[in-house]
Amino acid sequence: MMDEMDDRFAERLRAVARDYHQPPATPREEIWARIVAERLRRRAARHLLTTPRWVAWGVGLAAVLALGVGIGRWTARDGSAPLPALDAVANPAAPALAYQVAATQHFSRAEALLTDFRRDARDPGFAVTARNLLTQTRLILDSPAADDPRLRTLLEELELVLAQIAQLDARDAAELDLVARGLEHRGVLPRLRTAIPAGPPTSTQGAL
Amino acid sequence: MDERDLIARVRAGDGAAERALYDAHVDRVYRHAYRLTGDDDLARDFTQETFVRAFDRLASFRGEAALGTWIRAIATSVVLNGLRKVKRFRQRETDLEAADGVAGGRRSAEPDLKQRLAEAVESLPARYRMVFVMHDVEGYTHDEIGAALGVETGTSKARLSRARAKLRVALADFAQEWTT
Repeated sequence: MMDEMDDRFAERLRAVARDYHQPPATPREEIWARIVAERLRRRAARHLLTTPRWVAWGVGLAAVLALGVGIGRWTARDGSAPLPALDAVANPAAPALAYQVAATQHFSRAEALLTDFRRDARDPGFAVTARNLLTQTRLILDSPAADDPRLRTLLEELELVLAQIAQLDARDAAELDLVARGLEHRGVLPRLRTAIPAGPPTSTQGAL
Repeated sequence: MDERDLIARVRAGDGAAERALYDAHVDRVYRHAYRLTGDDDLARDFTQETFVRAFDRLASFRGEAALGTWIRAIATSVVLNGLRKVKRFRQRETDLEAADGVAGGRRSAEPDLKQRLAEAVESLPARYRMVFVMHDVEGYTHDEIGAALGVETGTSKARLSRARAKLRVALADFAQEWTT
């Protein structure tokens, strides 16, 4: 008797449960695009992790030296200005500024690529440029420049778009269309333009 | 294309084969993730992570089970771990009207019962909820559930029995009517 009641309950439960979290149609293309981008991102991250330490240190030191000189020149208003390298050391805000300068320059390059890509996406050369920019995007994401949440969001969006362009088959019209639509949808290009300050290329005002 | 050929081609780095493998399994993975989360964003996230892991680990797939079973096991693990980290789905889940909208407005069960059932299922411990959803909602066999969860078939049966018993208590007023 109990078994029969249990069976009846289970049967009715199954019938009602069919509606539980009824899934919509699978968004195949969207998920596929995300998978491709994520795999590229992880591959790039692994590549960075496996880069020999002396190379990373060398690149880092060169970048710091170059940025130090650049900041010194930028901040020198007259002959009484301190020596460039000393300024970077004495001013605690200088390192943060240096990262901002690097981020702004990176955004300028990315903006140029995406503008050209939007005009004519079929050039296979875009993939190579996008790969280079993708690596730089990861470096900036790992730097203090990405401490600003707005900047970080923009960098992550940029990373996704660059990853898609980097793996793009320029002969595949459907894929090109998908990436172009994703670019428009995310509004990365206008946000990049907003992040790049107007005026002399060395200025960082308004970058963030 | 034979599954073994497909796997060999994916391992060799064939992009078209990767896409074919994805197309063959994505519906089941996404449906599975959606049924367990009731959240489209989470289902997309978990489906993405499942395939990223599957492609990464395909080299270690030994073919002892069907590829679909192997992928389902990854999906189940991804969803279980993901749900442990993501608590927000519980709040979002309660809006069944919204869920109906996403599901295309299908209504074959009484609204009150549906809501009560959803709440009761949500209140189940994860290990019971997983088996109940896989068996009674998605229609998997206990063998398939055991393979996906990495437990014995008997364990799957026992968990389903416990889940139903708890649901029977939670839906006592309906249960009385159903069994008479």
